[in-house]
Amino acid sequence: MTVRALGGAGVGIGLRAPHHREILERRPALGLLEVHSENYFGEPAAQWLERVRGHYAVSLHGVGLSLGSADALDPEHLRKLDALARRIEPALVSEHLSWSSVDGRHANELLPMPLTMEAALHIASRIAEAQERLGRRLLVENVSAYFAFDAAPLAEWEFVAEVAKRSGCAVLLDVNNIWVNATNFGFDARRYLDAIDPSLVAEFHLGGFEARRSFLVDTHGARVAPPVWALYREAVERIGPRPTIVEWDAAIPPLDVLLDEARQASAVVAREEREALA
Amino acid sequence: MSLAAQQRDFIRSLFGDAEPAVPGLAVYRSSVAANLATALEATYPVVRRLVGAPFFAEAARRFAFAEPSTSGDLADYGAGFASFLAAYAPAASLEYLADVARLEWACHESARAPSAPAFDFESLSGVTPAGYESLRFTLHPAVRLVASAHPIAAIHEANAPERDGTPARMRGADHVVVRRGEEGTVVEAVPAHEWRFLERLARGETLGEASRALPAEIAEPFLATALARYVACAIVCGFTSP
Repeated sequence: MTVRALGGAGVGIGLRAPHHREILERRPALGLLEVHSENYFGEPAAQWLERVRGHYAVSLHGVGLSLGSADALDPEHLRKLDALARRIEPALVSEHLSWSSVDGRHANELLPMPLTMEAALHIASRIAEAQERLGRRLLVENVSAYFAFDAAPLAEWEFVAEVAKRSGCAVLLDVNNIWVNATNFGFDARRYLDAIDPSLVAEFHLGGFEARRSFLVDTHGARVAPPVWALYREAVERIGPRPTIVEWDAAIPPLDVLLDEARQASAVVAREEREALA
Repeated sequence: MSLAAQQRDFIRSLFGDAEPAVPGLAVYRSSVAANLATALEATYPVVRRLVGAPFFAEAARRFAFAEPSTSGDLADYGAGFASFLAAYAPAASLEYLADVARLEWACHESARAPSAPAFDFESLSGVTPAGYESLRFTLHPAVRLVASAHPIAAIHEANAPERDGTPARMRGADHVVVRRGEEGTVVEAVPAHEWRFLERLARGETLGEASRALPAEIAEPFLATALARYVACAIVCGFTSP
């Protein structure tokens, strides 16, 4: 069976353990499957991913490199990522514009960077180092945040632009994270989109948030919210179609729910492609 | 304030004694605790079943403070949980608990270990029988050896998801070999002498040296079939000769 991409840019889903068996049995038409890199550092898991790779383009999406940490990059983590990338030959390799450890202590969470020039230069140099080690351009994703450090001279979009300019990385624009941060910190999500240089954006992410008392929390545990779909449509219009992944990490529903979300994203991409031709 | 200082402050608010005053930090604090607890639950399902979910959650919370995660890969988290439980006063009445945790960590490591190339019988055929004594066998990277004064293999087996939790044996020491089979992780209790033999091989002793772990009367018949058996079930994957 050949796999047809949903839309030329490749729309896909974040593949998680509950769907491992089903994805190979059904092989739904998807342009791309994205996995968390660390989950395939172990052996039988890596072999399984090789089988998936036989049927799909794969995107390796890391959550543990802690690029923004004041610590040095973990050479062992980079070695494992490099070995996996050589084996899988992924279409994309991405990480986060965040940190998760300091002094060797890991929070295993995507923690926000202080929006300062010092922090931008620091993470840019670490991204450059990782790119050098991996021999490829990384995509780096904007994260959701619930805390802002005092004295933030840069807007988040200025921080992203600075990091991309200094490191040469591409941007993985998580549209849900923009919406979550715009709500949590009271800025205009459109202004963020307008400020991003389209040529830097290599991928979009979509996911669901949860509204808690004083914050939207990026739980990846729900369908993409209507305002996020609207923002995605605007992003595709302004920036152009890009590979797009729908992520779901908490209370993971049946595969068909994710495929339905992917179809909706695909419809947005297809409409944009039709209009671009018209 | 430097980036390092800002990050240290942040980490302190996640793992410090006091609940942070800033609501946003509290969001992170609870999600970090939940991530670590979920990782520990995934690795130690039998311990969790033995002590119950609330007891486990509290132990996981204290463990997260006592022993930080040191890797960006959450699957590396929890190596020290057995030692933590051994010294954890509320669990003192469950003497076997720490050893069950050691067995579960062994299973976790085994499941992620690298694979190995097939055993090279052709090279072995070049070794004269007189040379066997000085061979050193390599255990498969997915093999783990765990021994306990308690019946940990029986406890482990009885607490598989589909079982009712009643072990076949309530007392006696268990010598356990963990390996990776075709269908996943295999946990097997073996005779003590066999376990010691394997343990000596794992330490890099020669076949001759390791054989001293075997009772004299069974050494010969044991060794006659051991290699074929160990290769077939991926306990031994290679050898080196001097």
